[in-house]
Amino acid sequence: MHITYQNEEIFISTGGRELDKSAPVLCFIHGSGQSHLTFLQQGRFFANRGWQVINADMPAHGHSSGQALTTIADMADWYAGLLTALEIENAVIIGHSQGCLVGMALAQKHPQKVTKLCLIAGAMAIPVNEDLLSLAQAKPQKAYQAMVNWAHASDSHLYDHSWPGMTHIDFGHQVMAANDSQTLFADLSACNDYHDGEEAAQAVRCPTIAILASHDKMTPLKAGRKMAQVIANCEVHEIADAGHFLPSERPFDVNVKIRNFVS
Amino acid sequence: MSGNYKFDTLTLHAGQIADKSTGARAVPIYQTTSYVFQDTEHAASLFNMEVGGHIYSRLTNPTIATLEQRVAALEGGVACVAVSSGMAALFLTVLSLASQGDHIVASSQMYGASINLFEHTLPRYGITTTFVAPNDLQAIEDAIQPNTKMVFGEVIGNPGLDVMDVPAVGAITAKAGVPLVIDATFNTPYLFRPLENGANIVIQSLTKWMGGHGIAMGGAVIDGGNFDWGQNDRFPTLTEPHYAFQGVNLWEEFGPAAFSARVRSEGMYNVGPSLSPTNAFHLLQGLETLNLRMDRHLSNTAALLDFLTNHEQIAWVIHPTLPEHRDYEIAKRLMPKGVGSIISCGIKGGRKAGRAFIENVQLASHLANVGDAKTLVIHPGSTTHSHLTPEAMVKAGLTDDMIRISVGLEASEDIIADFKNALRAAKKATMEA
Repeated sequence: MHITYQNEEIFISTGGRELDKSAPVLCFIHGSGQSHLTFLQQGRFFANRGWQVINADMPAHGHSSGQALTTIADMADWYAGLLTALEIENAVIIGHSQGCLVGMALAQKHPQKVTKLCLIAGAMAIPVNEDLLSLAQAKPQKAYQAMVNWAHASDSHLYDHSWPGMTHIDFGHQVMAANDSQTLFADLSACNDYHDGEEAAQAVRCPTIAILASHDKMTPLKAGRKMAQVIANCEVHEIADAGHFLPSERPFDVNVKIRNFVS
Repeated sequence: MSGNYKFDTLTLHAGQIADKSTGARAVPIYQTTSYVFQDTEHAASLFNMEVGGHIYSRLTNPTIATLEQRVAALEGGVACVAVSSGMAALFLTVLSLASQGDHIVASSQMYGASINLFEHTLPRYGITTTFVAPNDLQAIEDAIQPNTKMVFGEVIGNPGLDVMDVPAVGAITAKAGVPLVIDATFNTPYLFRPLENGANIVIQSLTKWMGGHGIAMGGAVIDGGNFDWGQNDRFPTLTEPHYAFQGVNLWEEFGPAAFSARVRSEGMYNVGPSLSPTNAFHLLQGLETLNLRMDRHLSNTAALLDFLTNHEQIAWVIHPTLPEHRDYEIAKRLMPKGVGSIISCGIKGGRKAGRAFIENVQLASHLANVGDAKTLVIHPGSTTHSHLTPEAMVKAGLTDDMIRISVGLEASEDIIADFKNALRAAKKATMEA
């Protein structure tokens, strides 16, 4: 659905279902340079099982208009405001990558909005290589390619996809290419400039799950484990032979773990 | 774009990792119609298109999925749907985009069955086509109407060997907000990748060079994922709720893969031109050597061209690598490695000489196919394009004396020796007449 929020047209995938605000809400937060399509194999799965799915494109991402937000704190506020605008009191927050930083900041700044927190391929800090930042600014197409290559495990590079006929690499590239060209740079800069991750993790009080990938090169496994140790009430699941794009690389595993956590 | 691996590696590996339960290195043939669900929830999630997986082999099959993912990787597409033939691929593409009252712009220089589909079959269902010369850019632009759902052409036209300037046509279609659909059978992704050059959807007859051995029929629709289906309300089949699958909006839920999701969720579901798993296996075997075969096809083509252009019995030769070809510059720019292994030529003495030539080749085979490992010859006017009217023949660039040669992988000296003998027989037949 499309709504006007903060004077921009914002797209929210609801998993193909009408919103029923009386049902429990899962709010998905995508990562740098991504869109709601990160959760292609999660949105409809949960929407068809009794949850209300809020899977928004942040400004300048996917089908949403506007300028990209420039700090993790602003993104957290943006999601808190979005839930308020939708008259949703609170939600399970499910973040991927940069979305984990946003999710923890949201739990820190707006704890009443977060009932549970699910952190997929997350870490408390996501420092970005200077070369990648420069590439994202000057040659975003090259940056998409580098990120998509870096973010997938070896099986995905051999185009082994659970969705028959689809490819991880080229699909991932086109998802990023559909955003405004400076969006990735804004997102990566926001990640690189964010230094409050440990403080945010320490402030999380709600039940939390961390789903981590063994072959994650973007937010390495050891960084994810450290994040989970800092969060007071965090269960950890590690998925073997998977890369950073867990939601598409291991959709069944991810869905089952989220479902067990939120049920 | 590509991942960590080069084209030559993807031909061997894309779409498959060694089977984790058996260790099988080759792609297994999953000769099964259906698949056991883990539980009712798993079944429901597959039927509702929530997660990927296999339900029924009319829709998907693991062997075919390996082929699809390999072809998608080689073409640089986000997804591929493999079907029973190239014509099925073209029809499902039309079906997925166009409805009654819609319009298509298509090249006038292409395969006879494709022309027939657009000219005779589709109008019965209310879909009309304007035919234009493949490189008449102004005519293409002028032909696009508000109800035009696609512009279609072949990279290398069959059998006239016109070469479409895909990037130039792509600039027009992008500006008009209409997808460019390209049949890339004659070039294969080894020579030219349309999706990186302005096209949005690629059609392949896998039967030809991709499979390459004349043993299995197959086709493929490759979704470039590079077209904005939501830019206006021109494409309701993708941007409005699907009549099934709980009203899924494919553009919103599948994004860059919306088109291929429609091909599978309607074309395979409601029409069902399925590829057989065994044919998929044969086609995969062929793909493993695509790069090696294409290099040999090209070198043999160059050798045969040298022979034909210097032979007294040959009236004319058409191949896009010859400087006198009208699309020579376009071909050189788009396909620097080579421009395929089809040669059209005319034999002095017209139809009688042509017939004598075809009846006297011994190594080359007289049959209705192209892209085989073996050298093939045919007279299009009396076979592949015989159902066209005289006017349509002229429009398609066909002449009565035309011989179409699909150059194979034999020793070039043997191909040339065979042709030399057949041309001698053709000359004799002409003299006797």
